[in-house]
Amino acid sequence: MSAVLTARDLTRHYEISRGLFQPNAQVQALNGVSFELEAGKTLAVVGESGCGKSTLARALTLIEEPSSGSLQIAGQEVTGANKAQRKQLRRDVQMVFQNPYASLNPRQKVGDQLGEPLLINTQLSRLERRERVQAMMQQVGLRPEHYQRYPHMFSGGQRQRIALARAMMLQPKVLVADEPTSALDVSIQAQVLNLFMDLQEQFNTGYVFISHNLSVVRHVADDVLVMYLGRPVEMGPSELIYNRPLHPYTQALLSATPTIHPDPSKPKIKISGELPNPLSPPSGCAFHQRCPHASERCQVEQPALRLLDARQVACHHAEQINS
Amino acid sequence: MSLLDIKNLSVRFGDATAIPVVDGLDLCVEKGEVLAIVGESGSGKSVTMMALMGLIDAPGIVTADSLQFDGTDMLRLKGRQRRHIVGKDLSMVFQDPMTALNPSFTVGFQIEEVLRQHMSLKGQAARQRALQLLDRVEIPAAASRLNAYPHQLSGGMSQRVAIAMAIAAEPKLLIADEPTTALDVTIQAQIMDLLVGLQREQNMGLVLITHDLAVVAETAQRVCVMYAGQAVEIGSVPQLFNAPSHPYTEALLKAIPEHSQGQRRLTTLPGIVPGRYDRPLGCLLSPRCPYVQAHCREQRPTLDANERGAARCFYPLNLTAEVA
Repeated sequence: MSAVLTARDLTRHYEISRGLFQPNAQVQALNGVSFELEAGKTLAVVGESGCGKSTLARALTLIEEPSSGSLQIAGQEVTGANKAQRKQLRRDVQMVFQNPYASLNPRQKVGDQLGEPLLINTQLSRLERRERVQAMMQQVGLRPEHYQRYPHMFSGGQRQRIALARAMMLQPKVLVADEPTSALDVSIQAQVLNLFMDLQEQFNTGYVFISHNLSVVRHVADDVLVMYLGRPVEMGPSELIYNRPLHPYTQALLSATPTIHPDPSKPKIKISGELPNPLSPPSGCAFHQRCPHASERCQVEQPALRLLDARQVACHHAEQINS
Repeated sequence: MSLLDIKNLSVRFGDATAIPVVDGLDLCVEKGEVLAIVGESGSGKSVTMMALMGLIDAPGIVTADSLQFDGTDMLRLKGRQRRHIVGKDLSMVFQDPMTALNPSFTVGFQIEEVLRQHMSLKGQAARQRALQLLDRVEIPAAASRLNAYPHQLSGGMSQRVAIAMAIAAEPKLLIADEPTTALDVTIQAQIMDLLVGLQREQNMGLVLITHDLAVVAETAQRVCVMYAGQAVEIGSVPQLFNAPSHPYTEALLKAIPEHSQGQRRLTTLPGIVPGRYDRPLGCLLSPRCPYVQAHCREQRPTLDANERGAARCFYPLNLTAEVA
């Protein structure tokens, strides 16, 4: 199988003005992210706010140009592509946003919103577009009469269905979903997640699923990428990472996630403090101030991603911690 | 006597004929107990606690047979008397820490305000106590934070400040309305630890309002599950999670991805919570319930006690003796 999305050493830096007589500061929102996504598979990106999840989503969907690194969609290079090529590439990557109350146009009928991707990107006639839209609406569980309605007439779960339908209209190769269920209730979340899985099966789409909810990620993901302060700290097959996390941050994250059947024999790993300021990231390993296993080496030397136990991990002491 | 005793609480918006948002709720909280109220959006969990604190304004109508807190009837209280209890013996932590604090005053001032109002502390004494409180909620470099404005703090820090304000007057009952929903997992774990630690230390009652069942499983002793304004099941942890009696509780638990066990599809309830104007005649869950019988569509079940708690269902699940 070939990869539909390949990222190599993707970075995105922002210049932040600090005032007239101060030099600009730089935020390294995304730093050295590499991965491959195959058709029909799901890569989940996990981390706390400010870890660069959404910056990654913006880079993948061509909303923003990465500062450096390469990005290939279905084998075609994105960086350096001209305007016409980019337009073509955008068809293949679609996005579903977190808040379905803000991502739909309140003044446009649902049917028109779903038809718009076809209007812009294809030569289909009005009638053909309408047919396609209605077929898609049926697939995501909307009734035909919903075609004429406006977004405010729908509940959160239904709106997320509309947003998903809109993203799938062009049958993209890659769908980037940025926290698609975090605004929804548990029972509605389950319905929407099922829909995600059904559509993936049908269209063989590759998903990049961004979430901070680790139990949702475990359910949907084939591979997991854990990020901390703009850098990947651990990446590998989902089952492997959930059953035996190697990086201390992944361990803490999994341990902090509440579960329905808590195991009293497993003490929670507690990490103190909060995410450091991205304007002045700590030297060495970005996690060393909160890490229970940090040594002097962690304070000075930044750990690189390396292969260990069938996944990639960025920690100097991964072997010792887990032996 | 219970610390909090609610009997037949109803809240309506509009006139007396309007469909109740909270419908005939009975609830009690003992001293030193952690009770969780769980439900989806619109199930009435927050409105219940707002009613208790007297925060429901017109056109909201609050009726109850009894709304006793610590021996005081909260329904009969007038403004000044109520303000003497709310914020002191009965305090609340809200969901969004960024909007719960006043942006125009320093953190220290806002904590001291509670101390001035309820504890008659002034000047240096109030300052000292505020500092102790910030230390207690584990804010690093507390002395320098006293003069910080809310915008200078992160979400987790703001929530700690909000908790410091809530416990400043040593309340008997603390209501936490989705205290960690806006926060990251690692910070959520820290805040829940802090809340439970404070609750044990001061032997407070704690009412935890949340939609996250996993948080409940880890912290609460008793759970009240609400659906469309009614309590559908009340039970203790972990029994309720191991063997739910009400179909809705069971469905909620099954919908959690944690329970998928490798299956690609999650088990879901079809449809959505009934709105104000499309309430079914019988059991409110009847249009969505997988176990529905003809009887359920015609009559509303009552909240009946069973061997493990109480459930509002004609055919409760997982019971050894048939109650229905």
